[in-house]
Amino acid sequence: MIQILTRYCTLLVLTLLVLAVMSFSLAYLFPGDTLENLTGLVPENEAQREALERQFKLDSSVVLQFFYYLGNLLVGDWGYSFTSGLPLLEEVGIALPATIELATYAMLMALFVGIPLGYYAGIRCYSTTDHILNSASMTTYSFPVFWFALLLILVFSLQLDAAPLSGRISLLYDVPRVTGFILVDVLLSDLDNKSLAFKDALSHIALPTFAIGAITTASLIRITRRSVIDVKHRPYIAAAVSRGLSSWQIFTRHILRNALLPILPLMAIQITTLITNAMIVETLFSWPGIGNWLIQAIYQRDYPALRIGMMAVSTLVITLTILVDLFNRIIDPSREKYEHAAV
Amino acid sequence: MPQFSLYEEEFHPSPWQRTWAAFRSSHIAMVGLVMLGCFVFFALFAPIITPYDATEQNIDGLLIPPSWTANGVISHLFGTDALGRDLFTRIIYGCRITLGTAFITVVLAMLVGVSLGTFAGMLRGVRSSIANHLLDALMAIPTLLIAIIIVAILGAGLLNSMWAITLALIPQFVHHTRSFVRAEMKKDYIVASKLDGANRWQLFVHSILPNMIETLVVQGTLALSIAVIDISALGFLNLGAQSPLPELGVILADGLDAAYLAPWNVAVPGTAIFLMVLSINIVGDGLRSALRKRVSH
Amino acid sequence: MPMLDIKNLTLEMGSGDNTIKALDKVNLSVSSGEIRALVGESGSGKSLIVSAICGALPGQWHLTADRMSWNGENLLGMSVYQRREVMRREIAVVFQNPQASLDPSSTLGEQLAESIPEEFVEGSWFWQRAQHRKKIAISTVHKVGIKHHKHYLSAYPHQIPADIGQKFMIAMALVSQPKLLIADDPTRGMEPTTKAQILKLFTRLNQTKSLSILFVSHDLLAIASMAHSMTVLYAGQTVESGKMKHIKKRPLHPYTQALLDSAPSFRKDLPPKSHLPTLGGSIPTLQHLPIGCRLGPRCPRAQRACVQKPAVRRIHDHSYSCHYPLHVEKQ
Repeated sequence: MIQILTRYCTLLVLTLLVLAVMSFSLAYLFPGDTLENLTGLVPENEAQREALERQFKLDSSVVLQFFYYLGNLLVGDWGYSFTSGLPLLEEVGIALPATIELATYAMLMALFVGIPLGYYAGIRCYSTTDHILNSASMTTYSFPVFWFALLLILVFSLQLDAAPLSGRISLLYDVPRVTGFILVDVLLSDLDNKSLAFKDALSHIALPTFAIGAITTASLIRITRRSVIDVKHRPYIAAAVSRGLSSWQIFTRHILRNALLPILPLMAIQITTLITNAMIVETLFSWPGIGNWLIQAIYQRDYPALRIGMMAVSTLVITLTILVDLFNRIIDPSREKYEHAAV
Repeated sequence: MPQFSLYEEEFHPSPWQRTWAAFRSSHIAMVGLVMLGCFVFFALFAPIITPYDATEQNIDGLLIPPSWTANGVISHLFGTDALGRDLFTRIIYGCRITLGTAFITVVLAMLVGVSLGTFAGMLRGVRSSIANHLLDALMAIPTLLIAIIIVAILGAGLLNSMWAITLALIPQFVHHTRSFVRAEMKKDYIVASKLDGANRWQLFVHSILPNMIETLVVQGTLALSIAVIDISALGFLNLGAQSPLPELGVILADGLDAAYLAPWNVAVPGTAIFLMVLSINIVGDGLRSALRKRVSH
Repeated sequence: MPMLDIKNLTLEMGSGDNTIKALDKVNLSVSSGEIRALVGESGSGKSLIVSAICGALPGQWHLTADRMSWNGENLLGMSVYQRREVMRREIAVVFQNPQASLDPSSTLGEQLAESIPEEFVEGSWFWQRAQHRKKIAISTVHKVGIKHHKHYLSAYPHQIPADIGQKFMIAMALVSQPKLLIADDPTRGMEPTTKAQILKLFTRLNQTKSLSILFVSHDLLAIASMAHSMTVLYAGQTVESGKMKHIKKRPLHPYTQALLDSAPSFRKDLPPKSHLPTLGGSIPTLQHLPIGCRLGPRCPRAQRACVQKPAVRRIHDHSYSCHYPLHVEKQ
């Protein structure tokens, strides 16, 4: 057990180190001046430039530069953005929790709607309900996420006027930032009309979450259904039937656990796709998350922001993936014997 | 006891024929195949079937509605956009660019990914385990992020977005190839070939590759649908194909400005992407079911 | 009165022109307290009969039978619930591969405890019941000969050796105190020592608890030592059925004769370096089943009448279906 933990910790540290190296090298790869890319500060004259170079060790070897850079990263001194001039730590600190909130709600929706529906479709495989669910999930899964979001906007916001178009909360409410999660912040704050603010925030978050969550749900339905059908045809289910167990008992005791185990490794890929979709949808809904921020940064060629943004998002995704992998390893008794589930 | 054979000449279909027979028996899969065939036809013969040029602007006819509405004209089947360009032509060229680019991306990614994966699968020991874990972890970086970085380094454009998507698709191929090769290496027929004196290259080409082709095709269709969505997403965000190149995502983004006045500018390209991806998914699903049926019988 | 009585069981798949009759008018009966062996080569349909009795046939098979009754009640006419009750309490099945029949995600102890019927567990609070279940599990596991119960009951299926696995499957079958135990080739692929242990266990269970056993196999040596009566199956047709000692002394069907001949220990007067007789050819596939008596193409005594399926004839308890049985001189 300790062995597994140390192995995964070393893996995490190793991967983050590789990411840091890549992020550092981007300062050289991006067009423009290396110093400016690295720090975000534009020196005004020669003296300042030399001072900055000495400070960031640009006159010594690349390895020393990298270690200094690494030190800065760990401390929190991430440099400044070209466009806004604000420290990057602050900007990422605002933007990243917004995306995490959106992704979390979408993932929860997918887990709690997708997996039970997938089970249902799998148990009643090849029946009418199953065919309907299968077709619906296949159709939803084939939608490009940006078009789906556009359709939702066109229908719900513009035609029906049922949900607002952009932002996280109406400008009337001034919610102080505590955690960065708007729903939690509304509940934690002490505004007079808290329930109205909460409803407003909810209506803002509904469409983006649905746009992202629907596609992930469709994906999960298909994966779960396939896993359940595979498990149903295994010999130990037939042996359980021959022992006279009722179908409810077989479902809860045998199918439930065994169908869930092969799905877990695929969760990591779902998380990646989820975050990509979240980043795309954020631009359409003007949701102030890191996707929106990064895309504005690339339009304005804000290289320090890009560097740090890439580092932040990659760290998040890779940490999550490794955690999911670790979780799999711990709860699955016969990991090596298992093949990964197919879609 | 008479010595003649009582069994008549038997017809043993090859595995490919059995897969095709199982595929054909599903009606939905055949419909998907026909749809995909239409798109491929459009992609290949775009210059021949389109009435106009993709960038030809008709200043007199801006935002003409599609031909099935009251104000539409038949000469512009899907109407025109805000610059007077015929939408039907642009969609057909768009299919060509999107599908063609996606196809090239997938083929490139497959070549690189399969070679890397086979190499990693045939290795053994601590080296391979480190490489495997590292690759798995790096597989997790989102496509959009890679695209943004590459666009920042190399600039925007269709070619650069192709690099980005190829890079994003390679890890999947590597992962699947590696696990497949590792599983096959343990099987007895590989040991038999090794005992016969086959070296690694011969093992790969004669023993492992024929068995791998089927999973590769299924993986390829999956990757193709992802590639189509990603290319159009990047085009939509103006990070990939640039206007006036008629890529489906770019057409969608162009139509967004006039979306309220002329919704067909948004609906038609979006439907085109949706149908393309749907047909690829249906064909992929049908292939997977056919392979499963063949294996289980 | 036999406990399990099957008469003219037919199992077919497909329709119209392409009907495949995997089982063609099979007769089988097991009386109380006896060990009946069901013998046949691979491909003769033995496992299909077991699935048919359990009610676990895949959907594409159609089953028809003149009589298929358990203790006088018609199995085919029962509702799903009643059938399941019969399977739960009175019939138990042990399958071929013990590791494939166990759920890989839970320990052996859990699986054994969940198979114990509610009626046997005493206690009114759930922890009392859980404790009693554990006690019953441990005692059953001892009965089949697994000594270190603590180690094995907390292990997962992929961690135990094959013989312990099979003994555990027998324990799982016994825990509901059935009246009939169906063993579908339980000793396949086992080494002789473990095979002998399992077979001794079966004999002991039959003698002490008067448990009837339907032992499906193609291992004649094992069967000869254990079984009281035997039914021989060839390509989905029963060819001979009767008491073991009668069949050994005087087989009436050419196939049975060939089977017994091919096992050297049955022949007492075997000179050294003598030719071991076999039946030429191999068992026909489902797509190419011969009409009439399915042994026809391979049988050394076949003649024109064999294209019609022979009727079942009896001499006391010994029934056979052959146009030219061995006790009738060949023309």
